Amino acid sequence: MLKYFVSRMLMLIPMILIISFIVFIGLEFAPADPLTAMISPDQMSSMTLEDMEAMRESLGLNAPMLVRYGRWLVNLLKGDMGFSIVTGTPITNIISNLLPSTIKLTFAALLVSTFMGLLFGILSAIKSNSAIDYISSVLGVIGISMPEFFIGILALLAFAIRLRWFPAQGRTDVGLGAFGSIKYLVLPACSLGLVLAAALMRYTRNAMLDVLNKDYVKTARAKGLPEWKVYYKHAFRNSLMPISVLICLRLPMLIGGSVVIEQVFGYAGIGSRLLTAINAGDYQLVLVIVLLLSIVSLLASVFIDLLTALLDPRVRLGGDIGGAK
Amino acid sequence: MNKQDYILSIKDLKTQFKVGKRIVKAVDGVTLDVRRGKTLGLVGESGCGKSVTAHSIMQLLPKAATIVDGEIQFRPKDKPEFNILKYKRTDKKLRSMRGKQISMIFQDPMSSLNPVYRVGDQIVENIRQHENISKKQAIKKTVDMLKMLSIPMAEERIKDYPHQFSGGMKQRVMIAMGLISDPELLIADEPTTALDVTIQAQILDLMRHMQDQLGFTIIIITHNMGIVADMADDIAVMYMGKIMEYGTKEDIFLRPSHPYTKALLKSVPVLGNGGNERLEPIRGNTPDPSEMPEGCSFMPRCDMATEACNKAAPNVDIGGGHMVRCWHSKGGAPHE
Repeated sequence: MLKYFVSRMLMLIPMILIISFIVFIGLEFAPADPLTAMISPDQMSSMTLEDMEAMRESLGLNAPMLVRYGRWLVNLLKGDMGFSIVTGTPITNIISNLLPSTIKLTFAALLVSTFMGLLFGILSAIKSNSAIDYISSVLGVIGISMPEFFIGILALLAFAIRLRWFPAQGRTDVGLGAFGSIKYLVLPACSLGLVLAAALMRYTRNAMLDVLNKDYVKTARAKGLPEWKVYYKHAFRNSLMPISVLICLRLPMLIGGSVVIEQVFGYAGIGSRLLTAINAGDYQLVLVIVLLLSIVSLLASVFIDLLTALLDPRVRLGGDIGGAK
Repeated sequence: MNKQDYILSIKDLKTQFKVGKRIVKAVDGVTLDVRRGKTLGLVGESGCGKSVTAHSIMQLLPKAATIVDGEIQFRPKDKPEFNILKYKRTDKKLRSMRGKQISMIFQDPMSSLNPVYRVGDQIVENIRQHENISKKQAIKKTVDMLKMLSIPMAEERIKDYPHQFSGGMKQRVMIAMGLISDPELLIADEPTTALDVTIQAQILDLMRHMQDQLGFTIIIITHNMGIVADMADDIAVMYMGKIMEYGTKEDIFLRPSHPYTKALLKSVPVLGNGGNERLEPIRGNTPDPSEMPEGCSFMPRCDMATEACNKAAPNVDIGGGHMVRCWHSKGGAPHE
């Protein structure tokens, strides 16, 4: 088992390399010229073509692509992510400043959506075809079909501008206690989590209904177990396997969603920084952030395998051969 | 016979399914007595309602089904008798009955055990639901029971998961789970249908052996005439939600009186009974259960059908508790 996971982790290395290469090539073809991003138009107009060429040469921009890729990779392995060519700050600083708040946002959204999705999903499975099932299924369809930025804007209008319960924009970690900074987290996390919650709810409902029809649920009842134990111990425990896979699969989408949501709420995080970096042609920064996000996605997929094995003895112990021991 | 000699008396049980807008009468007035300590075989074709009858006793029916009428009187040994249908499906009284006084084992052992829990834990769960004993004692009890059911290396195997057991072994585990709390009645719903023939015989032997040792009553549900001949003391033949004929094994096999029973016996091959004899299938098909014929439900396929059969047939005792639901049985000839 351990061997399997070590090999699974080692497999990530070539995958990350391939992704980094593809991203690098992609940005190579982007029309942005790093020089125009670095130098203000005023300065640029006073430079001669030779000056610019010399500058390119000194920045190493004229080397062949593969050489530049190799250089970048080696520096990255040394822990040097390079500098933002627009602001001149080390990318390491930008990441370490912004990544924690995006992680915080993503996990808050994950928490919200898991809690709501499971709760309403299980309820509507247990009480299938009842009022609560119909209501949550209508809300679920609405949730799935609305993009998160729209939900975000609605939430902003209702709870921040009309009701003034939460601040409309920004993020503060400095000078505020834990509770003070949570205020800034509520709206973005809820709007981000709602879409996933809706999908999760529908999925949980179906997974539960599927399991509730299984014979072993009947066996559990035939033992005389109370209903809550039948639902919790026997039904939910088995539907947890497909549900946990969905949650892990959706994790990268959550991060993708945070790019947009951070923009809506002016929440300073890695997502909104990615957008500004793309707009400014800050290709070094884009490269690092995209690579980071894809590593998270890859880790999520390994995590799914690990979780499935933990939850399902048939996967963990292998071999569905009867009697084999 | 004394009332106490019957562990279970079903009276006019009616269970219906709602399929879309139609109503299917799966069990349509079953009346049945089960003798204490004996084995009752409930036979019939697929879809005749035998399994629904069994699930009605446990009140383990699917959501679409409702018991609309009848009573099921259960008479535990040292406790007052009660009508199972008086209680709600989730009532505490029924929960303390299920798995303790009445146990049930199902058709498919492959899917009847929860795949994510160890086999031992699943049996222990049953014990601890009904008895206040320590986990250690419960495990010991489990191991003893598995040994009784000749599962090799029981101490080790309780730590295994269901997928590490073969089909026959899984059914033994299910039987162990059913018998662990020393029930008075074991309902076996097609316990061997999903197993191959050699394993079938082992499982049936095992059930009989355990019955001799522990003295519980068995209701065995099957479509296999051979199994009933092998296992049962009494037999009830079911067709379209009704009991057509009920009697001792001898009554049914030696003196079959209902045309359906006769036809059923003729359609079963008997080993060593002439090599080239043709089997006689029952002509026609079972009618759509939502459009049951008026009168006798077997009439459309019956060779003996007459005008009288357009009215529901009476249930007649033709001697010694041998009950036949037919106008043409002895004494059941159109009277009134």
